[in-house]
Amino acid sequence: MTFRRRVRTIYGKELVDLLRDRRTLIAMIVVPIFLYPVLMLGSLQAITVQTQALGQRAIIVAGLGGADGPQAESLAHLQYEYDRIRALEPSATPASKAPAASSESAPGDAPAAEVEDSAASPPPLQLSWTPCASVEEIEQCVRDRSAHVGVVFEEGLTFSPDRRNRIRILYDREEPRSATAHARLEDVIARVAARINDERREALRLPATYFDPFEVTATNLASPSSILGQILPLILVLMTITGAIYPAIDITAGERERGTLETILACPVPVIDLIVGKFLVVATIAILGAALNLGSVCATVYFGGFNELIATAGQGIPYGQLALILLCLIPFAVLMSAIMMAVCSYARTFKEAQNYVTPVILAVLIPGGFAALPATELRGMMLVVPVGNMVLLTRELLIGAPVGTSELLTVLLSTTLYASAAVAVAAKVFGKESVVFADVESLRSTFDRRLIQPSPRPSLTMALVVTAVLFPAWFFLQSWLQSTRGAENGLGALRRTFAAMPVMFVAVPALVAAYWKVDLRGAFGLGGASVRAWAGAVLLGMSSWIVAREMVVFQHNWFGMSDLAADSAAALERLLRDLSPVELVILLGLIPAVCEEALFRGFLLGAMRSGVRKMTAIAASAAVFAVFHFILAKLPVTFLLGAMLGWVCWTTRSILPGVIVHFMHNTILTLSAAHREWFSFLPQPQEGAQDHLPAGVVLSAIAIFTAGCVLIGRSAPKATGGSAA
Amino acid sequence: MVVADNLVKSFPVAGGQKRAVDGLSFRVARGEIFGLLGPNGAGKTTTLRMLSGMILPTSGSARLAGYDVATQPFEVKRVLGFLTANTGLYLRLTPRELLQYFAELHGMDRPAARRRAEHLVDWLDMREFADLRCGSLSTGQRQRVNIGRVLVADPPVLVMDEPTLGLDVISNRLILDFIRRAGDEGKTILLSTHYLDEAEMLCDRIGFLHHGRLIAEGTLEELQRRTGLARLSAIFLKLAAEGTEAAAPAGAGS
Ligand SMILES: Nc1ncnc2c1ncn2[C@@H]1O[C@H](COP(=O)(O)OP(=O)(O)OP(=O)(O)O)[C@@H](O)[C@H]1O
Ligand SMILES: [Mg+2]
Repeated sequence: MTFRRRVRTIYGKELVDLLRDRRTLIAMIVVPIFLYPVLMLGSLQAITVQTQALGQRAIIVAGLGGADGPQAESLAHLQYEYDRIRALEPSATPASKAPAASSESAPGDAPAAEVEDSAASPPPLQLSWTPCASVEEIEQCVRDRSAHVGVVFEEGLTFSPDRRNRIRILYDREEPRSATAHARLEDVIARVAARINDERREALRLPATYFDPFEVTATNLASPSSILGQILPLILVLMTITGAIYPAIDITAGERERGTLETILACPVPVIDLIVGKFLVVATIAILGAALNLGSVCATVYFGGFNELIATAGQGIPYGQLALILLCLIPFAVLMSAIMMAVCSYARTFKEAQNYVTPVILAVLIPGGFAALPATELRGMMLVVPVGNMVLLTRELLIGAPVGTSELLTVLLSTTLYASAAVAVAAKVFGKESVVFADVESLRSTFDRRLIQPSPRPSLTMALVVTAVLFPAWFFLQSWLQSTRGAENGLGALRRTFAAMPVMFVAVPALVAAYWKVDLRGAFGLGGASVRAWAGAVLLGMSSWIVAREMVVFQHNWFGMSDLAADSAAALERLLRDLSPVELVILLGLIPAVCEEALFRGFLLGAMRSGVRKMTAIAASAAVFAVFHFILAKLPVTFLLGAMLGWVCWTTRSILPGVIVHFMHNTILTLSAAHREWFSFLPQPQEGAQDHLPAGVVLSAIAIFTAGCVLIGRSAPKATGGSAA
Repeated sequence: MVVADNLVKSFPVAGGQKRAVDGLSFRVARGEIFGLLGPNGAGKTTTLRMLSGMILPTSGSARLAGYDVATQPFEVKRVLGFLTANTGLYLRLTPRELLQYFAELHGMDRPAARRRAEHLVDWLDMREFADLRCGSLSTGQRQRVNIGRVLVADPPVLVMDEPTLGLDVISNRLILDFIRRAGDEGKTILLSTHYLDEAEMLCDRIGFLHHGRLIAEGTLEELQRRTGLARLSAIFLKLAAEGTEAAAPAGAGS
């Protein structure tokens, strides 16, 4: 029976098994279907109830003197004027009738746009008076909330043209009712003032433009959305996680608790098939859950007419982006499923698993919650923060903000990297004898050094986890180093970056490997290589930079180069010229050659030697290598370079020839960029050749490159004889 | 059919290794019912798990139907039925689905698996509850499903770890009948149990395990002759006492 058939069998059974469970169904279908409508209706109702209550309920005004005193009378006068306006305006009718009403009072002249808008249907005003003896008492009333606002007419209220009415309003901005009452009063006063203006202007037969020389229409283009728009992505992401939790527990700890795990392990099925089948089920349910959640959100927004709650400027949910959002949630669901499965595999019982899951959820909430803050943006470090980047990406897509390809790719690729590490851990944990038949504490056997057996090579799990941790760490470190000093000190950042590289790329994996008793020579592929391999490496090193350079030029000519990329390339070139050649060779040649080969070829590719096919292994390690460079435009070239170096390492079974190639490649390329004059012996690109080197040079480089490949390929048989066994 | 040769399994424990099985060697011939007896913690379960290819021996080797348990665990599992009293069933599947699932896991394609499940349902008289979920079945019915699962690939070897632990008289009888019938059909059976009358009744030969070592082995008569006692329970107590004495100086030395 093939792997695929077994996995399919397991997948089918586990899916049926889980879907028959009421708890899965509730978590997956019932909750999302009801959560969002309830959530949105609830918050909408809270808002409308509040505003309606405030709009219709009488505003309690604290003022000086009794209800029949002069101050109360002034307020009553104001209300009388307002009610008069309301009587003239069409009451509570659609906005389209407003112009007719205004033309009646101002023939030929449209009132100011602002007034027209807000004059559509002036709401009724109800006031009630709270008598106070002094301004202090009024303040006290507002503070202790026995009145909504305090109003003081400094000189009563008159409408004679030579007097200005000075009105003081006291309110508490932190108190919603008080704030609304204040806004309403301001509105009432503005309407009355506008009406009086109109009347006076008409009396003088002046055009409307006489008093309003400006008409300003400001459109707010900022994307910050309403509260729900901010929270929704977090909820969506959390629901995706929640979707994975129950199946992950049921399928691992639950299976052990019910005593079926032993049965299944007595069947002729490799553990990896089992875990893959189960993992796919968890991921399926998480993705289904995510899709249902998303669908429910959209349906609620669409049918409920809640667009304004999601985004400002009446844009609403970009329905066209839904597929993209779902696509982004898939690697995320995969990641969370794998994490949950890895965690739950350690547990013997349902309860224990729930205990393990809780801290994981908390750990997830921290970056997720941070990302949900309105001020957090999808850039810089946030691009690679697990969970956080997904919350942000979902938010941007949901509110229809533009998301760049490179941001999108960074989020997706980093999530995919984390996901594969988590899957590897899950497989490892689940298959562990001490975990399956956990009679002793299983966590300990993974971390207690006395219980660890020495091994000649890092396991795939270890390599993936180290890489997955290094990736954001390296990203943070770089952005931190670059931000600590200004551009003036770009050199300093460069020096620090490359000084940090040996620590991150070599020391960290070496420590991890040493702790788990992995042979360091094996871990980094430090074996010797044949003479042919060395010679081939030198040939490749001599020529690969020309090939790479031509590819970059080709890419720029065909796909263009963004100004940003061109600028940063130019800046880098200037920077390089400031370095002494020796430093340049060490910083940009030697250090990356040694460190990157050690990590990507020695540690990562080496770990894939057992169990992963050659092409897959080389492609995967090259992809990780490329992603670690963070620059989208360089992705294709670094990938190909990584693939070539991976092939060299795989074939020669040592990273050392690759170090030579990498060193020569980097050194010549940077020197040729920084000190063009040294390379004047080479024929230069001709005019109109779009920066391509002359064909002769390129062809000889290709010839040398091919010769190098042949030499290295020939160095293989002796070495690969061992790997076949 | 089953050959264990100097099998050792040690588990890492705080401060070193604990040998749960310590140099165990024995043979079981085809068609024989072999009983493993021993006090709690003697290493019976560990031995049976190693013989079923579920855990790897620390050293030594074992063969089951000619397959090496360490290097060919899948071949071993293919010719083996494994049953313990606390083996659970998938409670949300029906017996029919469950049998079909295990048949497929043993490499049958879907139609063949369906036919096999159908056959077992008939043969074990499970018609009336074959389409109910396992969760709603009685213990006796569940045991029948479990027997069906063990027989799904018609394995020549059965490994049973305390299969009757905690069962009532009726379910117990069901299992014992099944073992006897399987023995009559010529299956090789490895059985561990704490119920000595069961062992007395069923087993062709008995191995006595203590602290991971086999301290006595033979037919009931041989054991009776060796110890001069008639009842297996008396023999058991005597051997356990001897084993503890024998182990004490060795334990102090190590
Ligand atoms: N996974 C494990 N990790 C550590 N120690 C274990 C493990 N499995 C078994 N042991 C130990 O090995 C010894 C033998 O256990 P085993 O379960 O094989 O005994 P048993 O004869 O089946 O006992 P019982 O009659 O109680 O079932 C015990 O001391 C047990 O604690
Ligand atoms: Mg036992």
